Amino acid sequence: MTDQSKSDSGSIDADALAPLVYDELRRLAAAYMRRERPGQTLQATALVHEAYMRLAGAGTPWHDKRHFIGIAARSMRQILVERARARGALKRWAGLNRVTISDSLAIAAEPDMMLPALDEALERLEQIDAEQARIVELRFFAGLSIEETADAIGLSPATVKRRWALARAWLHRELTGGR
Amino acid sequence: MPPVTRWQRVRDLFEAALDAEPRDPVAWLDAQGENDAEIRDEVASLLDHHSRAGAFLVEPVADRVPHLLEEDSGGEPLRAGATIGPYAIIREVGRGGMGRVYLATDTRLGRTVALKAIAPHLLRDPSQRERLRREGRAAASLTHPGICTVYALEEIDGDLYIATEFVDGHTLREQIESGRRPRPEELLGTARELAAALASAHGKGIVHRDLKPENIMRTSDGRLKILDFGLAQAYGAGDPPRVTRTGFLVGTPAYMAPEQFHHHVAVDARADVFAYGVVMYEYACGTHPVRATSPLSAPRPIGDVIARCIREAPAERFASAVEIVVALGQSSAEESPHTTWWRIHHFAVVGLYLAASILSWRIKEWIETPITVSLFLALGTAATVGGVLRGHLVFTERMNRALLAHERRRTARATLMVDLLIGAILFVDGVIIGSMKALPAVLALSLALGIVLAALVLEPATTRAAFGDWHDRD
Repeated sequence: MTDQSKSDSGSIDADALAPLVYDELRRLAAAYMRRERPGQTLQATALVHEAYMRLAGAGTPWHDKRHFIGIAARSMRQILVERARARGALKRWAGLNRVTISDSLAIAAEPDMMLPALDEALERLEQIDAEQARIVELRFFAGLSIEETADAIGLSPATVKRRWALARAWLHRELTGGR
Repeated sequence: MPPVTRWQRVRDLFEAALDAEPRDPVAWLDAQGENDAEIRDEVASLLDHHSRAGAFLVEPVADRVPHLLEEDSGGEPLRAGATIGPYAIIREVGRGGMGRVYLATDTRLGRTVALKAIAPHLLRDPSQRERLRREGRAAASLTHPGICTVYALEEIDGDLYIATEFVDGHTLREQIESGRRPRPEELLGTARELAAALASAHGKGIVHRDLKPENIMRTSDGRLKILDFGLAQAYGAGDPPRVTRTGFLVGTPAYMAPEQFHHHVAVDARADVFAYGVVMYEYACGTHPVRATSPLSAPRPIGDVIARCIREAPAERFASAVEIVVALGQSSAEESPHTTWWRIHHFAVVGLYLAASILSWRIKEWIETPITVSLFLALGTAATVGGVLRGHLVFTERMNRALLAHERRRTARATLMVDLLIGAILFVDGVIIGSMKALPAVLALSLALGIVLAALVLEPATTRAAFGDWHDRD
């Protein structure tokens, strides 16, 4: 599959570690919220890197940064979808099918509205092609660039770019409910 | 044909189309020699959506993390003046993984408390609620001055609140971030204070599991207090770290012992020992050991103790904070010159016991009645007990200094009783011999007076001079 699965087969239990990353991201984000200044935005990648800085090192099992970033991206997805669900976004969100192409800016402005539906679509995509789902997690949920994603997943940037386009098209179709 | 392979063909065609950028995708697809109409349709559909997707997913949602986390601490905040059962809210003082913390007044007693409102999502699981109750009770059993006291666990309208002592001051995190590094004696003092508080809990079998600079407060009158003791355990007493569906996890990764990362390892006091080492390291030099570029340069006892605390293998660390206390005490170079006087005092009193025993024996020889024989036997027994207790104290002071305060407290009442008893026996002996021999009588009475005065006046004085306290501490 991908090198995620290779890392998983090592001595470290990825399932045991994911919650650590998840928790650290939440802590960092919450700490950020408390000292937020107007006009500042938190870069997700900065969050992931800070989490890595805090978790990596002596005695802790974070020797593989790629592995870490993969788990962090998944955690980010979990956090965001969960919060969006908690806000009842599912009820309010009417679906992309009411939205025309020109409205995609509106989607970008309130992306959390569609997160629960996106999460479910992503689960379906995972069944078909887990690598694509990972790319979406890294790009959309962890905010990694094409190059960073390519590095984290062990593919060439050109390949990631094409796969990313496919994943976006596939998810767009899922969320618009069309063919 | 298995679906994965089908998907791969869809993917390859789609990607080829992206590279070719055909003006008419349908015509282009027809020209690719793909016989399966379904695959052709699938690719055409995806290419169509590709052209329509616009900015879809382009802006990473992750940049909105803080916005989405805003209400993470659960529930609406309580306003000043609101009442929760007997508690009147004064203001919110903090937010943590477990929920919001308020400064409040317990109107029944008129005392100020810190009221921790446990986030509702932590209480959905009834077993977890029960565990919180149990650990609240365990935490309430800790009464060390270095540990924030738990007053009550309240269940009000289905919500869970923990009322604790309100600790006014600043956290060790703030102290670390202030950039001011502690002086050697300050470092040693903090190391001992923290270890002593931790040891008192470990002695009762209670493990903190989430010790970190944020959980350690320096009160405004300069004392150190550990917060949230035992509460982290609420998520798995004795179990390895546990995760709820919402992902709550015990421990803060940066301070967690390596074994806390593994499912199958039970966590004990040695995890606290590890966290203690990391905290002290950070306090000593301002950097987390992971990020440190040079080895820790701390004065002798501390540096060694920290290094042993943060060993990767639990077996190589101290077994509990009790051992840290011992290690810090033993390697302490500084010793109060008054300790010598305290030691001399104990030897002198044992000398008086001996003199009293000999005198009582002589008196029994001079007037051999059942009373003088019993008095001699009682005095001999008391003097032996007293001598053993004092010998034990002096021995503890030399060999195991860390436990001395505890041992002094434990034996204080017994030694006082022994001394008063010996004084009383000598007094009676003196009165009995008084009718026959004047000199031994005077000797007995003055010896009685001397022993009683030494116990009531001298001993508190030498002890206070040597250790800065008498047994008035808890």
